[in-house]
Amino acid sequence: MLRSLTAGIVLAFAGSRANVARTILSCAGIVVGVGALVMVVTASDLGQRFATAYSEANAGRPATLQVTVFGQVTDRAAFEEDLLRAGGQDISVYHTPSETPMVRSGGSVVPEVQFLGVDTALGDIRRMNMAEGRWFTEADAESLAPVMVVNQPLADTLGDLTRVQVGTDQWMDVRVVGVLESSALDLGWYSAYLLRSPASDDLLFGSSSGTGGEGEEEGGPFAMMGTQTTYQVRIDPRDPAAQDPWGEVFTERLASASWRWGIEDTESISSHRADYAEEVEEIITYMSWGLTGIAVITLTTGLLGVLNVGLVTVRERRRELATYRALGASRSTLFVAVVMESVVVSLVAGIIALAGCWAAVTAGGAVLERFVSLPDDVPLNIPASGVLVGLGSAALVGLLAGIIPAMRALRASVVAGLRE
Amino acid sequence: MSVDTAAPGAITPRPGSAPLLNVEGVTRHFTVSGTRIDVLHDCTFQVERGEVVAIVGQSGSGKSTLLNLLGLLDRPSGGTYTFDGVDTTRLGEGPRSRLRGEGVGFVFQQFHLLERRTALANVGVPMVLGGVPLLRRRARARELLEAVGLEHRLHSQPHQLSGGEQQRVALARALSREPALILADEPTGALDAASSTMIMEQLLEQARIRDAAVVVVTHDPRVAARTDRVVELVEGRTR
Repeated sequence: MLRSLTAGIVLAFAGSRANVARTILSCAGIVVGVGALVMVVTASDLGQRFATAYSEANAGRPATLQVTVFGQVTDRAAFEEDLLRAGGQDISVYHTPSETPMVRSGGSVVPEVQFLGVDTALGDIRRMNMAEGRWFTEADAESLAPVMVVNQPLADTLGDLTRVQVGTDQWMDVRVVGVLESSALDLGWYSAYLLRSPASDDLLFGSSSGTGGEGEEEGGPFAMMGTQTTYQVRIDPRDPAAQDPWGEVFTERLASASWRWGIEDTESISSHRADYAEEVEEIITYMSWGLTGIAVITLTTGLLGVLNVGLVTVRERRRELATYRALGASRSTLFVAVVMESVVVSLVAGIIALAGCWAAVTAGGAVLERFVSLPDDVPLNIPASGVLVGLGSAALVGLLAGIIPAMRALRASVVAGLRE
Repeated sequence: MSVDTAAPGAITPRPGSAPLLNVEGVTRHFTVSGTRIDVLHDCTFQVERGEVVAIVGQSGSGKSTLLNLLGLLDRPSGGTYTFDGVDTTRLGEGPRSRLRGEGVGFVFQQFHLLERRTALANVGVPMVLGGVPLLRRRARARELLEAVGLEHRLHSQPHQLSGGEQQRVALARALSREPALILADEPTGALDAASSTMIMEQLLEQARIRDAAVVVVTHDPRVAARTDRVVELVEGRTR
């Protein structure tokens, strides 16, 4: 059996090499089909990786909740304790100062910087791709000067990061410890993360921060609306609260003890799932299935082409196949040889398709990079699964397309074949 | 120089005093559109190891049918055919193919070389089927092509060879697995007189060197005259 198999494979390779025209003709349909399939897998893979990276960089890793309390939190420590009790694994304040400070380095002042007050834990909640320096550490909270991480465009505009100052009515020295990589994932043009610490309290929350409320506007009918506390909380993705996109489960957990931090009206607590990679991935998966269906139809057309060429050539090659039999080829050797010829042709087509896809992806990547910079961990290339799907589908098509001609070849009379 | 072309699991020849071929009361009939056509009737003859036998007869006398039976390409309708001590009528398809590959070398009138393959590759085909490793196969094919005087045509394809050269490639191919029997179906039928003489000389010489029996189907009395014995077929019966 092994000898039949190896002999069949050797004859198949020799046959494919000898009949180049037939091989090329058979290839065409499969090249298109396999190419389409590989491109679908590549696009789907890129889309999913990009969606994951985008969501993790801008909204948080699975499962991140954004919790907002509309009202004055009187005891922030108790509130944070309850966030952990409710299932939070990492928590970070997520606060935009009501009065946006300006930033300068030397003489150049940069207005309209998007500031966010955060805790060290945001580095665990979100994907932070550092171009230079580092993310915040616990030790930074003890710093006498406010500590900042800025994005690449802001760092480029500021130039000298050792002389950075921020301020609203007066300038204050800040320490920039890191620069975030600039990529297609950036939302804002100029953005800066300011670490919540005693040194940055005034900048972030104003002079009344001692009460624990932020940005509150005392007095007036809209005082409550102006007082808002926002946190990002990462919970276990297997937590039932993670399955609830509107955060009602988590809100209920918090509401049960809201009196501890001064909130009587539980309606003023809101939480929702902030990360969205899973939803986007699901949409991409559905789209991929649709496109895969189209690719499979194309591949089936290719299969029929190979099958057709196989049937015609088996008829034309009756004398050659009979000669093999006369020279000692068993029926199984002949079967393997005919099937393997089809598989070899299909694999050659698969390799050509992969090479074409690689060229298209490389060229596409070069064009894309002119417009947008992809993050390092989202490379534009054909994934291993694409190669596997391409070669696997090509081999399968070859196998299926080879079986019927092989059975025909076995049915043919050796004696009649030799007479031709 | 001898090169071992036997593969693991080969059917072992049974040298001895028994004839190489023993055809006993073999019959063969075909049914075409419900009508039975008897081609061979009670054929009986033997071929010894190293013997050269010609099968002659008029067209339609059953020579090719008999040759197909001897070459294990076809099965008799009745009687027994023993090859090298093995009763072939009881063999399944796989062992028959193996016995054919190991024990029989074919030389066809129309050469039946594989197009778009070199002479070396053509000679190598039976050895591929026999599981002979590539390097040994190539060395053996080269040696055989040299033996039939085609050392300068190793890489030529059939369409680049003359009829005589093609038949010499076919002869080298038939010898590649050192068969005990060479079956030649009108080996000179498609050749001119000079080429015919050369082919027959080489066929008989190579067979003698290897102690292989040769059964030649021929119309040509000059070919028949060079054999040890002539079996005549008249209306499907041996004489």
